[in-house]
Amino acid sequence: MSEFLDMGGYGKYLWPAFALGFGIVVLNLVLALNSLTGAKQDARKRIEMSQ
Amino acid sequence: MATWTWFHRLASPPHVYAFARRWTPWFGGFAGIAMVVALYGGLVLAPEDYQQKDAFRMVYVHAPTAWLSLMIYTTMAIAAAVGLIWRMKVAHAAAAACAPVGAWFTVAALGTGMLWGKPMWGAYWVWDPRLTAELVLLFLYFGYMGLRASIEDPVKADKASAMLAVVGVINVPIIKFSVEWWNSLHQTATVMQMGKPKMDFDMLWPLLLMFVAFALYFVTVLLIRLRAELLRRERNATWIREVLA
Repeated sequence: MSEFLDMGGYGKYLWPAFALGFGIVVLNLVLALNSLTGAKQDARKRIEMSQ
Repeated sequence: MATWTWFHRLASPPHVYAFARRWTPWFGGFAGIAMVVALYGGLVLAPEDYQQKDAFRMVYVHAPTAWLSLMIYTTMAIAAAVGLIWRMKVAHAAAAACAPVGAWFTVAALGTGMLWGKPMWGAYWVWDPRLTAELVLLFLYFGYMGLRASIEDPVKADKASAMLAVVGVINVPIIKFSVEWWNSLHQTATVMQMGKPKMDFDMLWPLLLMFVAFALYFVTVLLIRLRAELLRRERNATWIREVLA
């Protein structure tokens, strides 16, 4: 396992790169879902106020 | 005839909203599965490179993020052009939805590239044509988003930002061919080239699968952001009451 994590001595560069890349993958999904939730809440408020 | 019907439907916000809501889980599900399989293939199954050893595995995160940064800009510019030419509101909404995602993936491409550059070139950053052009891409995304945010009138914001997106697309071939046009530390194309890829199949399939996964992931995020954009833009439309009921 430690050999896998070490990646022939390149682990200190490899794992931060994967963390950054896939961190941004997760972050973008969360940001998009937050944006949609916010837009839905705003739209519902407008509908309630217009009634 | 069928093509025109499809095109007209693409211009209809309620139709696009319903399409996005229906297909997002499918695109997202397949993207997630493909990403996990490609990661296992790239990190565990693929043999080490004879020159770069295990450092070559950086390709499984760097190449897809870099490719996505270009693909998203191209998608944004095409959507912006469609919006300008046919005055299609949905196209402008799609272009606006692309920008933040593209900017984040440009950051990912630059960051992962720096982490690959240090062990291979001995430096995190060099003012190399490929790296510099990719940095310009990030500024183009920032410029697009800044311009949109600075104009209050949404129609004017759509038009001005669309023009910037279309003009800025010239940077995409510059990034792609920079390694051939100028002396560059960055390696030339390994997969995306005419003829046979230079990689061994055991290394290649996880990379190709990762490209597919990232493309599906982008469609997923784009569809979610597009729904949010449409809800904000079509604030007074009656179809919004129906979809939120």
